[in-house]
Amino acid sequence: MALRELPLRAASAFCRHSRPVLNAAAPSTSRCASTEALQDVQSSSSFEVPPPSEELVKGYDPIARSKRRRLGKKPLPQSRYQFRPPKYYRGPLHPHQPPPSSDPSSREYIPGPFSLPRLEQTYESTIASDLLTLTYHHLPPGYKTPEKLQRLREWTGDSPYFKNRPLRPPRGGSSLRLLDQKRDFRNIPEITKVTVHTMVPQAMENSANLHVAGMIVQAITNVRAVAHQARHNVVGWGLRKDKYVAVTADVEREDALHFVAKLVDVVLPKIKEWKGVSGSSGDSSGNITFGLTPDQLALFPEIEVNYDSYPPKMIPGCHITIHTSATNDRDARFLLQSVGIPFYGRLVD
Amino acid sequence: MNLSTFSRPALRPANCSAFRVPSALRQNATPFQKPRIHRAGARAADFSSTAQMMKRKDARNVVDPRITNIRYHLSHPLTPRPLRFSRTRALRHWTIHRAWLLFLRKRRRAQELDLERQYMSMRSACEALRLLDESGNTVSPAEAGGFGPDPGTLGMRGKEVGRLYRQTMSKKGLVGLGLEVGGGGKSWAGGVPIEYARLQTDFPSREGWNHGWTR
Repeated sequence: MALRELPLRAASAFCRHSRPVLNAAAPSTSRCASTEALQDVQSSSSFEVPPPSEELVKGYDPIARSKRRRLGKKPLPQSRYQFRPPKYYRGPLHPHQPPPSSDPSSREYIPGPFSLPRLEQTYESTIASDLLTLTYHHLPPGYKTPEKLQRLREWTGDSPYFKNRPLRPPRGGSSLRLLDQKRDFRNIPEITKVTVHTMVPQAMENSANLHVAGMIVQAITNVRAVAHQARHNVVGWGLRKDKYVAVTADVEREDALHFVAKLVDVVLPKIKEWKGVSGSSGDSSGNITFGLTPDQLALFPEIEVNYDSYPPKMIPGCHITIHTSATNDRDARFLLQSVGIPFYGRLVD
Repeated sequence: MNLSTFSRPALRPANCSAFRVPSALRQNATPFQKPRIHRAGARAADFSSTAQMMKRKDARNVVDPRITNIRYHLSHPLTPRPLRFSRTRALRHWTIHRAWLLFLRKRRRAQELDLERQYMSMRSACEALRLLDESGNTVSPAEAGGFGPDPGTLGMRGKEVGRLYRQTMSKKGLVGLGLEVGGGGKSWAGGVPIEYARLQTDFPSREGWNHGWTR
């Protein structure tokens, strides 16, 4: 299986550059339940590290060292002291700069990942290389891609009003489409984020609908739900401005992959007569949306196990947007198909 | 409407960029409250802990206990206490964190190198095919076609150079790209076979049991 080859390759790549970090360097090609028990978890242990030298042992006198420090009147900082970065970023010239977000003391630090999702393993071992192969397009060495014309055109003419005028809007629409890069080993599309959105207009009369929807969304996504207000009055729908009517959850990192895997493996196969995602879905920049009805949403294992704790009439439907790093819908759809989401109808790019 | 139920994070933060203070560092200001059963009626005290009968006269004023329960748990998230370490433990934590980041970076680098190796070998193979003659000889780049984004361009020697290259570059009949032969107007214009999408697992292994095993 290809999944088993990846640690091998990873381990060989480690060995090339530095000492092996993991002790995965002794790979077993065949794994059986009976042979497993004999293998050590770790082949080497930290007890093999040589003991400190004699000079170091002789010179080790913590009491004398602390006395020396007290004589010098330089106490250590308090043990309870912990650095907290400034609350607001005051610009690059300010003397107090926040630490990077990967630092545990940073306010933006998010711990994790706490798990290695199976979807991520499959993607890394198989899907990524397959996508790279299938979408490979050859350009001979020495070929230079011609430079693009102006994406936003200038105003050309004799009129004095053209001077300093903002550029003309993009051709054929109000929005500028994303640029497509050549497919490379660095820009293979992957799932970056999942947004789960639920609109419950009944929440204008009874807030219980919103609370139930929020509880369901955060139960299935493992992310705190955020409530949203209506932005406009819509008389036809009975929607009033500034009323809380919707709930969303943005799922990122490992949670997103767990969510997609759960959707593909558990929920979607249980839906009866589901045709798939519409082939025309997508925002033409690589994000694809589909919807689930209330009875389909109730198939999520988190809802199913305690279905009785939700009022059945208040279980909402939802929209699920899968954000990918692809820049067009075609590549995004190809990625989602290889992950296991079927599409039906005419595929619109 | 009680919207304060959505204001406090219980699980992961909803939006990572807007999220400044980790939930672990936030104090839970609300003291513990017992779940109340909301009643609009004039009854002051409920003596029994039995569930209220829903089919009373004033049933429309009684809130479903399930909803009360959901509201209670939305507004009382089990926020863990903030991490407070002494100096040594914080240093230890920091060391382990740096090692973990280093490990992640090396793993990512290994995967990227692997993909790069694959890409480069595909590139050299395609270039060899592009310069390949009908009789198996390699021609000069001037004689070969396909110089440019369109692989169908012919060179000086015409069709007899790079036939395999042109076949390789045509994406017709390829799954998933919507470019099936004659597949333009059909309802299933293309797709990855659904068998492909099965997530890979460690077990059951290929041979389930080692029958030749002896101690």
